[in-house]
Amino acid sequence: MNKEMYDLAAWSMKTTLSAGADQCRVGIHRNRFIEISYRERKPENIKEASERNLNIELFVNHRYSSQSTSDLRKDALKSFISNAVATTKLLAEDPYRSLPDPRYYQGRPNVNLQIVDPKHKQLSPDQRHTIVKAIEQAALTTGGEKVISVTASEQDYHIESVELRSNGFEGYRESTVYWAGAEVTAQDEGDRRPSGYHFVAAVNRDSLPSEEEIGEVAAQRTLDLLGAQKIKTQTLPVIVENRNVPRLLGGLLAAMYGRNIQQKQSFLADKKGQKIASEHLTLIDDPLVVGGLGSKLFDGDGFAAKKRIIIESGVLKEFFIDWYYSRKLDCEPTTAGTSNLIITPGKRSVKEIMKDLGRGIFITGFLGGNSNSTTGDASVGINGKLFDKGEPVQSVAEMNIAGNHLEFWHKLSEVANDPWMYSSQRTPSLVFTDVVVSGV
Amino acid sequence: MSHITRRSFLKKAAGAASAAAIIPTMSSGWLSIAKAEQKEYFESEFGVSDSLCRKVLAKALYKGGDFADLYFEHTVGNWVALEDGKVNRAYSNIALGVGIRTVKGDQVGYGFTQELTEKSMLDAASTAATIADSNPNEPAGQFVGLKTSNYYPLKRLLTSVPLESKLPLVQSVNDRCFELSPLVIKVNAGFHDQQKRILVVTSDGVIARDLIPRNYLYALVVAEKDGKRERAWWNIGGRRDFSFYTTEIVKSLAQKAVSRAAVLFDAVQPPAGEMPVVLGPGITGILLHEAIGHGMEADFNRKGISTYATMLGKKVAEPFVSIVDNATNPQLLGSVNVDDECTLGQKTVLVENGILRSYMHDKISAIHYKVKPTGNGRRESYEHYVQPRMRNTYMLAGQASPEDIIKSVKKGIYVQDVSNGQVKIGEGDFAFYVSQGKMIEDGKLTLPIKDINIMGNGPKMLQNVTMVANDLEMAQTGAGACGKNGQRVPVSFGLPTVLVKSMTVGGVKA
Repeated sequence: MNKEMYDLAAWSMKTTLSAGADQCRVGIHRNRFIEISYRERKPENIKEASERNLNIELFVNHRYSSQSTSDLRKDALKSFISNAVATTKLLAEDPYRSLPDPRYYQGRPNVNLQIVDPKHKQLSPDQRHTIVKAIEQAALTTGGEKVISVTASEQDYHIESVELRSNGFEGYRESTVYWAGAEVTAQDEGDRRPSGYHFVAAVNRDSLPSEEEIGEVAAQRTLDLLGAQKIKTQTLPVIVENRNVPRLLGGLLAAMYGRNIQQKQSFLADKKGQKIASEHLTLIDDPLVVGGLGSKLFDGDGFAAKKRIIIESGVLKEFFIDWYYSRKLDCEPTTAGTSNLIITPGKRSVKEIMKDLGRGIFITGFLGGNSNSTTGDASVGINGKLFDKGEPVQSVAEMNIAGNHLEFWHKLSEVANDPWMYSSQRTPSLVFTDVVVSGV
Repeated sequence: MSHITRRSFLKKAAGAASAAAIIPTMSSGWLSIAKAEQKEYFESEFGVSDSLCRKVLAKALYKGGDFADLYFEHTVGNWVALEDGKVNRAYSNIALGVGIRTVKGDQVGYGFTQELTEKSMLDAASTAATIADSNPNEPAGQFVGLKTSNYYPLKRLLTSVPLESKLPLVQSVNDRCFELSPLVIKVNAGFHDQQKRILVVTSDGVIARDLIPRNYLYALVVAEKDGKRERAWWNIGGRRDFSFYTTEIVKSLAQKAVSRAAVLFDAVQPPAGEMPVVLGPGITGILLHEAIGHGMEADFNRKGISTYATMLGKKVAEPFVSIVDNATNPQLLGSVNVDDECTLGQKTVLVENGILRSYMHDKISAIHYKVKPTGNGRRESYEHYVQPRMRNTYMLAGQASPEDIIKSVKKGIYVQDVSNGQVKIGEGDFAFYVSQGKMIEDGKLTLPIKDINIMGNGPKMLQNVTMVANDLEMAQTGAGACGKNGQRVPVSFGLPTVLVKSMTVGGVKA
């Protein structure tokens, strides 16, 4: 626990209660970060700072507000807090507002999540520059003459947060996060200059791929975009690349939140216990993954973290229902949000699957689009590679897929064995059959 | 100013305008009062003096560099919201800090701090300075204030508008939505306001201040019919005085939100494929912003990664197409009196009669291209460095009538509203979600459409604009923010009705 942060949080809580709040939650967040990018073999941007923010949720006579500030001078905070209490009193009463029942705080797992890289403190400015230079060099080498521009970058964060609730909750989370990658632009036919990128993130620097691999992949992904064209509108199997699955999954998750269910904006509200996807889909939320980017011991309401099966073999098992909406819905709360989302991987590689699929599209990027949590209708632009029996035929772009989540996930025919490890959503590539891909 | 400290000078000025909470409407007289009120702000509240600024700038240039700047910001944001019939939640946020930038060629060093103490600022300046590695440079000996116009005058500071005034406003949106249709089952409504004060000080001796309002009223409506549900959202706002939000505005907002939800029950998905697309006026300007505007931001061109990198001075559209990016439209969300690096807000002609005339520049790209900066240097907050960004981007009105444009299409779609647009700068490829629109059959608007994307290529789309109508409309949004490299800045856009002769329409039917 960071004592300075804890003391300020405790002082703020005391001040808030003295000012007339019945209950409150105080959170203090601190983030120390460095970002370095290189272009044309010299630093393009160097940014370094430390930011702090204090957030107070107030409960005054069953009235609620949430207030944040980066001005942490005690005099400024005093007037900020007294204004906050006065403001809250003016709002309409909301009988569902309160801090959670403290029994949900109980049972916090006593495990070391290992989300702080012990080597982070030793990372020197020179080492950071060396990392970025190596990524840039690898991208330039792999990209060759086609490359117009490479921007390589490294960012690392040391994040701490302290949370106190006036009914007996104390929590502290400390983590490190590294980001590294490159964006590469290449010259195509005419005026087309496709850009591709490859970014990876991890808690520990040792979990990242080598700088050379990062640069190479960024360049290769860009070269793969060359010559892309839209093709005739047709019905095909598609494989959604692992790192792009969260975009698709997001549309499904949006309908699982307590708020959308209570506000009648969820196409899944009456689907608990029903089959909403093919048997190939099992989705787990696991906050206790060692070294996971989304790992935590308590959730946004302070509830003790636990692993939950959200979808099991296509059957919807659980929603994400926080304390407030559980009271409005008159049901048992689950958790306020996701932690590490994991789709259970399958057995075969994308390569093996492609061989058996015949003609199809490997989707490596989404563009624009929408997903409606009320109706389940979705539409999104795609680009990727047309393949035939495992062999690449051509790159495709400016194309689109559309459908309704309630139908689309039943088309899931296989899950690959390649979970994307550089995100809090560890998703493998997914295969969908009979998808209308629109183009010319 | 060299013989008098800024603190004492400003205190005198402030004395003349001590009751400056009320800022009169636009006229030459009130500007001086407003300026005096702003002038003293960072000085009186946080002790920011000329000598301190000079010291910090000197630190930012102690390893050399072409120039440096300081960006002080104090922003107060509020949001009150209604759910299930009552205004029962409020959120606020205060952002305070200073960003310090050192520039050497096209290289940027950046540090920021939330503590406006000398030590913290000098530390942040040291960080920024690391981008350079030569002999120290000195900042200018004195600072000269930049005289700006005011495109968003306020009668009253937003921070002086009491919560008691906002509550009935939001409540009335809810009540009006329910009155309008028995199909309405849920309403979320709210009012957002933000008041940002900035002070920008450059090492070449320019100082600029601004007080930038931003606000909007919104409604999200869920409607139910025959067991089916639809939802729609709308907002009205900009850089407005609070008095803008009248009963008429509430009525218009509620009408729009409710009718947008109700129409979706009859909507169909059009067949997928290539077809002519008519873009209706106003909010569809986001397409222009995304698909074309971003490619004309100078940084992407300077780096050679925009598809427009080699097109300056060349024909990019038909002669009846002209596009501008303008900071000076009164009360629009993208308007700025001064940009975030001390260049005056101005109008920039991007495409004139079909010829690409200019990119949008910040100082770095302007030096690269040997032109004057165009006032497009913007940033999300003190935590971010400046990039070339759009303001209010729109196509000028043409000669055709909107009716003639629709009549000219045998089979296609009419797009009234798009959202969630995204563009790939290098290829120019974009995708947009059509949230409201209609089919066009034999020159007539027929069934409403929904849940489709339109896909295309920005430069190709611009070439394919074959008719432009005389009905330019600007989006009156207060919620529009444009994202680029992790920074969001408020923008607006506009478009007259235009015909794009061919675009890809995505759907479920092959």
